[in-house]
Amino acid sequence: MDLISNNLPIVFAGLMAISILAYVILDGYDLGIGLLMARGDRSERDRMIATIGPFWDANETWLVLGIGLLLVAFPAAHGMILTELYLPVALMLLGLTLRGVAFEFRVKAQVRFQNAWDRAFIGGSLLAALTQGYMLGRYIMGFQNGLWQEAFALAAGFGLAAAYTFVGSTWLIAKTEGELQARAVGWARASLLLTLIGMIAVSLATPLVSPRIFDRWFSFPNIIGLASIPLMTGALFLSLWIFLRRMPRADHSLDLVPFLGAMALFTLGFLGLAYSFYPYIVPEKLTIRAAASATESLWIILLGAVFVLPFIAGYTAFSYYVFRGKARELRYD
Amino acid sequence: MDPILLARIQFGANISFHILFPTITIALGWVLLFFKLRFNATGNEAWMNAYRFWVKVFALSFALGVVSGITMSFQFGTNWPGFMERVGNIAGPLLAYEVLTAFFLEATFLGIMLFGFRRVPGWAHTLATFLVAFGTTMSAFWILVLNSWMHTPAGFEMREGVAHATDWMAIIFNPSMPYRLGHMLLASGLTCAFLIAGLSAWRWLRQDRGEDVRLALRAGVFLAAALIPVQILVGDLHGLNTLEHQPAKVAAMEGNWETRGNVPLVLFAIPNERERRNDYAIEVPNGASLILKHKADGVVPGLNDHIGKHPPVAPVFYAFRIMVGMGMAMLALSWLGAFLLWRKGEIPKLIAWGFVAMTFSGWVATLAGWYVTEIGRQPWLVTGVLTTAQAASAVPAGMIGTTLALYLAIYALLMAAYISVLFHLARKASGAGSSPPQAYAPRLQPAE
Repeated sequence: MDLISNNLPIVFAGLMAISILAYVILDGYDLGIGLLMARGDRSERDRMIATIGPFWDANETWLVLGIGLLLVAFPAAHGMILTELYLPVALMLLGLTLRGVAFEFRVKAQVRFQNAWDRAFIGGSLLAALTQGYMLGRYIMGFQNGLWQEAFALAAGFGLAAAYTFVGSTWLIAKTEGELQARAVGWARASLLLTLIGMIAVSLATPLVSPRIFDRWFSFPNIIGLASIPLMTGALFLSLWIFLRRMPRADHSLDLVPFLGAMALFTLGFLGLAYSFYPYIVPEKLTIRAAASATESLWIILLGAVFVLPFIAGYTAFSYYVFRGKARELRYD
Repeated sequence: MDPILLARIQFGANISFHILFPTITIALGWVLLFFKLRFNATGNEAWMNAYRFWVKVFALSFALGVVSGITMSFQFGTNWPGFMERVGNIAGPLLAYEVLTAFFLEATFLGIMLFGFRRVPGWAHTLATFLVAFGTTMSAFWILVLNSWMHTPAGFEMREGVAHATDWMAIIFNPSMPYRLGHMLLASGLTCAFLIAGLSAWRWLRQDRGEDVRLALRAGVFLAAALIPVQILVGDLHGLNTLEHQPAKVAAMEGNWETRGNVPLVLFAIPNERERRNDYAIEVPNGASLILKHKADGVVPGLNDHIGKHPPVAPVFYAFRIMVGMGMAMLALSWLGAFLLWRKGEIPKLIAWGFVAMTFSGWVATLAGWYVTEIGRQPWLVTGVLTTAQAASAVPAGMIGTTLALYLAIYALLMAAYISVLFHLARKASGAGSSPPQAYAPRLQPAE
């Protein structure tokens, strides 16, 4: 118990990291499908929506949990980060609002407005993806102002949008068949390349911004163990590329593989970033321990989380099981 | 413009927009469960048709509640950083429990409830409907615990200017919580009942008179008639509780300036805060003393005991009258409608139009009620612990103003879209499952 007590802030940083990773993968695929909808006609768009309809709401809840944990466990960091990111946060919320309601309005509104709601869905998804990537870029740059830093943050916006498009395409490969699946394979290949460029850019920029991060990665003997992260990521890129070249397959048994690969890719990228910034929660300004709130309140939350999270995992798995296989038309009856 | 005022308007606009949708979905979840259980028990397809129509309204309202709720989870931090710094040890766990025990539950089972009818056994679909209703109610429970604690804080101590929890039971069951929770859940029931009655009456008036429309109309009217007297009673108890813990708020609600006996009930007036009196008052002698102290000469607290520390009088005073007036209109219409439905099995056209006019009356009353209690707490954010000004952020006014304009524009658009789509769904439904099928079945058989 003492061991946990003394390390409660670390435990909460871990919980928050899991929430953010879950968010980026899960809402990532449905945001990515929002971007890809720009390439589909009305009936393709309906099928794309059908692959995410039962899931998107719970996917987005991971964002509320992640930001909630930041707020309750690290109030000081929450204040600093959200003050720095006030405007992009507002724009992201605008994007999430538009796409969240467009989900409903695009089928329920009067026919003459349905295309407009489709555009709101696409635009909202794009705005959310770009601003989230931009915020990641600002975070990596330690919130420093300057032309290069802004340019990097903008580039990170497009990088994350590409990554979301990739995970969205792999979700489509898993949940669709026929012509749409074949198109999704093409989208997956193109966005995989863009994601690769984005990840290389972030991996190069992060150690260059901060000598501390440079030392963490490139000092001896750390580098021997750490080299496995970029090596595994590289191997994963290559295998995904080769695998995608052989898709679509007549036999659908391996359709989930690219999505699982995308999940692994996101996890590796996330681990790399987490390693770079640990023990800081606001880069170079505030550590996890310094930002943490009072321990007795964290205990109360931890108790609840330990008890409830297995249930959440259980019924989330149940929901994915209920809607397993290729997506069918969304029907209320 | 003053950045604190802008931050308040921004947060107030967002939370006002947000609360409209949970107010519908909290009760509508239970009504859907009722429809589903009636279908299970009777096998009557009309109950399922009613379910299918109202589950669409649920899905749409839920989506609007989710997106505005996400915005709010960010605005807690961006607009009121001082709130978490000072009372985060209490607010934090309550918000975390809301996310853990409510948000994931409702969001996940919503998928099964909406799209799983043909994929899971009937009982599992009913269970999913129950869990969504339960989740929305749990969410209401936690957020009202926190809100009540801000009005009547308990179970904590201040150490170095920061609140630390000492007794979680006292925090959760703080003095105003049971009243506020009951009042809000009933408000949700009434908002939902009038929405169902109003939209069903509109379909009925458009000659869309299938059995599902009649069943929904009856459910809405009878639910409204049953809940409104309970709400008036609970509202009264809540008022007495407020009198005990926040006398300045009650004084503003009543428009009473001096602490004294034989205080009249002010039906209408223009409160004049500069001269500290009411202009053009229409009063019932001894009314306020009778209502609040149950004695004609009962002493009622006045605003002058709290000069400089009481809320702005006019908005609380007017909002309270709008809420009570709406409640009285709800009582009259729902009882009249219920009586006619009970005795004649139908309601006359005029009464049906009355229900159409009152479709969103629950929204008006709920918002007015929240303005009474929230403005009535000012200048405090947490009574006696933290003022609103202390909690405000250092974000420049220009930035708040820009995003405020953005939010307002999008909320206006969404509100217009929501209401027009509700009526569009109702219009569209009149062709679908409700009227007898042979009336519109396409003639597919070719002539032989």
